[in-house]
Amino acid sequence: MTIRPNFASLAAIATLAVSGAGVASAQSTLEIVKERGHLRCQVGSPSPGYYMLDTEGNWYGLDVSVCQAVAAAIFGDPTKLEIQSVSTQSRFTALANGESDMLSRTATWTLTRDSQLGIDFLTPNFYDGQGFTVRKDSGITNAMQLKGAKVCVTTGTTTELNLTDFSRANDLGISAVTFEDFNVRDDTYVNGGCDAVTGDKSSMAGNMAAFPVPADHMILPVTLSKEPLAPAVRHGDNQWSDIVRWSVFALINAEELGITQGNVEDMRANSKDPNVLRMLGAESNLNEGLDLEKDWAYNIIKAVGNYGEIYEKYMGDGEQGLGIAREGSLNALWTNGGLMYSPPMR
Amino acid sequence: MTDTTNQKAKVRVRPKEEFNFFQDQRVRSVFYQVVTAGIVGWLAWYLISNTATNLELRGMNTGFGFINSSAGFDTDFKLIEYTPGVGTYGRIFMIGALNTLLVSFLAIILSTVLGFFVGVMRLSPNWLVAKVALAFVEIFRNVPLLIQIVFWYIGVFSLLPVVKKSIDLSLGAERVILNNRGLYMATPVPGDLFWMTLVALAVAIGGVVYFRRRAHAKQEKSGVQTKTLLPSIAAIVLLPGAVFLATGMPLEWDVPVLAGFNYTGGTSVPPAFLALLVALSIYHAAAIAESVRAGILSVNRGQTDAAMSIGLKPDRVMGLVIIPQAMPAIVPPMISNWMDTVKNSSLAIAIGYSDIVSLFMQTALNQAGYAVEMVGMTMAFYMFISLTISFFLNIYNKRVQLVER
Amino acid sequence: MAIVKAVNTPARAAPISETSLVGWLRKNLFSSAINTVLTLFMAFIVYLIVSGVVVWGYLDATFVAENRRECFDNSLTGACWAGVIDWFDNIFYGRYPREEIWRINFGGLLLALWMAPLWITRVHGKILVGASVVALYPFLAGYLFSGGDKGLFVQVMVAGAILAFVINMANVVAGLVRNQSLDRLVIDLLGQANAPDKTQRNILLGLLAAGFAAAFLWQASWTVVGVSWTKWGGLFLTLVISGIGIASSLPGGIALALGRRSKLPVIRVLSTGFIEVFRSVPLITVLFMATTMFPLFMPEGFVLNKLVQVIIAVVLFNACYMAETVRAGLQAIPKGQFEGAHTIGLGYWGTMGLIIMPQALKHMIPNIVGSFIGLLKNSTLVSIIGLFDILLMLRSISRDVPWLGLHKEPLIFGAILFFIICFAMSKYSRHLEVTLSAGNKH
Repeated sequence: MTIRPNFASLAAIATLAVSGAGVASAQSTLEIVKERGHLRCQVGSPSPGYYMLDTEGNWYGLDVSVCQAVAAAIFGDPTKLEIQSVSTQSRFTALANGESDMLSRTATWTLTRDSQLGIDFLTPNFYDGQGFTVRKDSGITNAMQLKGAKVCVTTGTTTELNLTDFSRANDLGISAVTFEDFNVRDDTYVNGGCDAVTGDKSSMAGNMAAFPVPADHMILPVTLSKEPLAPAVRHGDNQWSDIVRWSVFALINAEELGITQGNVEDMRANSKDPNVLRMLGAESNLNEGLDLEKDWAYNIIKAVGNYGEIYEKYMGDGEQGLGIAREGSLNALWTNGGLMYSPPMR
Repeated sequence: MTDTTNQKAKVRVRPKEEFNFFQDQRVRSVFYQVVTAGIVGWLAWYLISNTATNLELRGMNTGFGFINSSAGFDTDFKLIEYTPGVGTYGRIFMIGALNTLLVSFLAIILSTVLGFFVGVMRLSPNWLVAKVALAFVEIFRNVPLLIQIVFWYIGVFSLLPVVKKSIDLSLGAERVILNNRGLYMATPVPGDLFWMTLVALAVAIGGVVYFRRRAHAKQEKSGVQTKTLLPSIAAIVLLPGAVFLATGMPLEWDVPVLAGFNYTGGTSVPPAFLALLVALSIYHAAAIAESVRAGILSVNRGQTDAAMSIGLKPDRVMGLVIIPQAMPAIVPPMISNWMDTVKNSSLAIAIGYSDIVSLFMQTALNQAGYAVEMVGMTMAFYMFISLTISFFLNIYNKRVQLVER
Repeated sequence: MAIVKAVNTPARAAPISETSLVGWLRKNLFSSAINTVLTLFMAFIVYLIVSGVVVWGYLDATFVAENRRECFDNSLTGACWAGVIDWFDNIFYGRYPREEIWRINFGGLLLALWMAPLWITRVHGKILVGASVVALYPFLAGYLFSGGDKGLFVQVMVAGAILAFVINMANVVAGLVRNQSLDRLVIDLLGQANAPDKTQRNILLGLLAAGFAAAFLWQASWTVVGVSWTKWGGLFLTLVISGIGIASSLPGGIALALGRRSKLPVIRVLSTGFIEVFRSVPLITVLFMATTMFPLFMPEGFVLNKLVQVIIAVVLFNACYMAETVRAGLQAIPKGQFEGAHTIGLGYWGTMGLIIMPQALKHMIPNIVGSFIGLLKNSTLVSIIGLFDILLMLRSISRDVPWLGLHKEPLIFGAILFFIICFAMSKYSRHLEVTLSAGNKH
């Protein structure tokens, strides 16, 4: 009976697993989440700005705020949330097979992913673009001067593909040096191992701040690719995707309307603007279609603030921020020339 | 107690008549085997049918057709021709497999040489040398390989000089150049008559082998030692050298030249490869050093004394008496170490060297998503390598067992 | 005729070359010209390495700072340990809620106390102590670490574990004070030393049942807050994975090894195939298989969490290595032991369970410690598939805004930590090897 003891240990582990294993049925995702009592939101291993661990072991960052916003919308409490960190290789399968309810990590929205992986991308919460960082004293001011250059890049992502495409399209013969870890990529570059680094501009700006002498480096104006980073959910549950989509829109809409974490209570009680009153649930029944509480949007803003506040906190000049300017970037509100735009909430 | 003994005694007298279907050894053994086979078969069927259902439900791609479809990504280190957008996934598999084999092969050679060296150092009468070797072994054995790989990668190779201050390892000839972008080597490009040099080399080696055999036979017969080392080296160096010169030096070097940002020409090796190679070599050298030391210590001390007493010099004692006897104890653990080296080279994924796991099982799987097929192919590759190595180990073991008295 | 000397000649002092420092140096370091050169060369290399490390890691290093910029301001060339120190809780306990960390420490303390009797010579019943650690401690620790509501099964196991722990401690006291096993002491104290065996057994069983009832009632009175596995991490998670890995791979390995030596061809072929397949592939591919393919193996709708997937992979992988360790242990048992067992009429399981395994296991202990070290080192691979073990925690420091880019120091800290743990254990295993083989010589 060769494998009997193995079965025994398997069975023991299976019992251990039951706590973490759920049996999905025909229930809607919202019902499952409500029954469980917390939201499972997937991020990746720490990535500056988007999702990071602090010394207390808490997650913080732009994408984490989106998770908290959805948890607040459902439960009125942003802490009813279990953040799962999943490696790049299994991020989409973990979402597709129900390990997590939503994915809020730096995943680029592409046609292939949206249509072939059994997942749906929702509205982007950050627009990024791939660029190059070079040393100021290298005399490079234009990406076309990178002919024959060595460029450091992280492996296994679209970044690598974009660099290959860019080099082929412009006949630059760039040789890529691939790295698993962006820290090593940056170290190699700082020590002269590469002529340039390529990566998402926002994260490069953040990383540059941590170089020994940040002022020696600069990001070239060229943008290689469009990187709309959006949360995603499993394909097929429209009510659930509405909830996540409109949670993100609520963040943007609040900024458009000037609602902040600080004044949200005051606005709900005293505002004259029907848009504000509608959104915060003082008037009309926007919540019904989503099957949420009346004050869902109020709870979101109360818990995490509006988009602008979140951006300042984690991407901008806040204490935990990376110091990436929002002015003039794609992530500014549409009224300031950016792409952040919320459909009317009515 | 007494009861059972009596019964047993009876049974022993008339075993045939007391045939009990449930107690019979043969029936039981068949039963056990059928049950086991049944459980394993059921489990396999269960897993496979689940997998099939899940694959269909999720609309995931299946089949091996992807091998011939083109892969869009490039890799920075490849031994065979490959163009992104044209090359296929099958080609990517080949590139990954060759990269794994290359780094493992070099690491095996380096670790074996270094391991022997350190193992002998461990037994040095010089206290400091022995202690340094001990520290080397203990440090590198007790830190996880993954940490070591990452450490060499970030800690050491980022400390290498920039391109303009490259280290010339060929002492001014600019044939082998090391900087923090990797190792650049000049590649020899043979000319028309170069084959004659190769022929000369082959002839010289053949001659030397014959010469040494004869010298050995002579020593066996008459006890007269012939000096073989110097003449051998002279023959191997001089004969091809002379032919090479006579044919007009038909060998060009494709030399790495500093052009623009980088060295171009020659062969270049990325830092990830070097880091992996160094880490693997050192980690496994520490293990091999221990088995070498254990092997040498396993040879009876009397052997050394006896060899010394017949007047052999210490290096001869080592070379002729101790090492040959220690080999049967050294080789098996060493070969299993080689196997581990091949397997451990998969940790390349942590630093992005394009071995089979990181190239095929990660990048390609991320792009194309044939999880079952790709994981299966990768595992099959490793199994093939391991079986090949253990095949040779078995041959060696058989030979040693035959010789053993 | 005073040829025989009646008193011993006093020992002469050792020659100066053997005792004095100079003599030692001359003998061990400068015995010949080549040796002298070697010594000087080695000393030079050692000096270079040590001085470099000391300057970077201590003299120029920053130990207290708010963020990396402050480290840079202090010294651009020295190490920045402040970040590592700041992250200690994460490195050791992962994301475990800070106010609950005592549970991990308490669990570790329990394990240490539970196992301590194994090293005290006067304590009796060591086999029971060892068995209870493997069979009961995991449930107590498992509940302590994960918390939440207790199901009936967990309640029973926790009560059993508590009882076992209390008995264990009492047994230590009995051993130390009276050099007796606890059951004898209890019987003696009750004055039943001369009662028939059956009465004694009934008394002990009754006490045991009463103790269990008390433990059950007591444990029902408290619960601890649930902590999701996603919050487990750091060294704690590394130890959990390797602990479960080694504990479950032992029975699996024994089964596989017996299967491989079995006379039944089907079982032998299956076991051999299973062992060889897993031994010939790298752990990382098995882990990949676990995370990408296990979800496909499961029936529709059944989701295994990542930690369980990884643990299954580690156990399967390690069981196959353990099987070879066990097989080597079995091969070391002389044939006479099998024959002896057969002569007294033992069957297969009797022979294995009562005669062969106990001897083989004793021989295998150093190797088991060795595989535990290997597993501990290998478990760092789970970081590649995104589990927050100690290595991923260390590498996450460089992604925390205040310490952005700080990645060398954590790695070196991790290397030192692993070195201390693994070196201590391998020294211990070597010590065991020596004592065991010494005890084995007749």
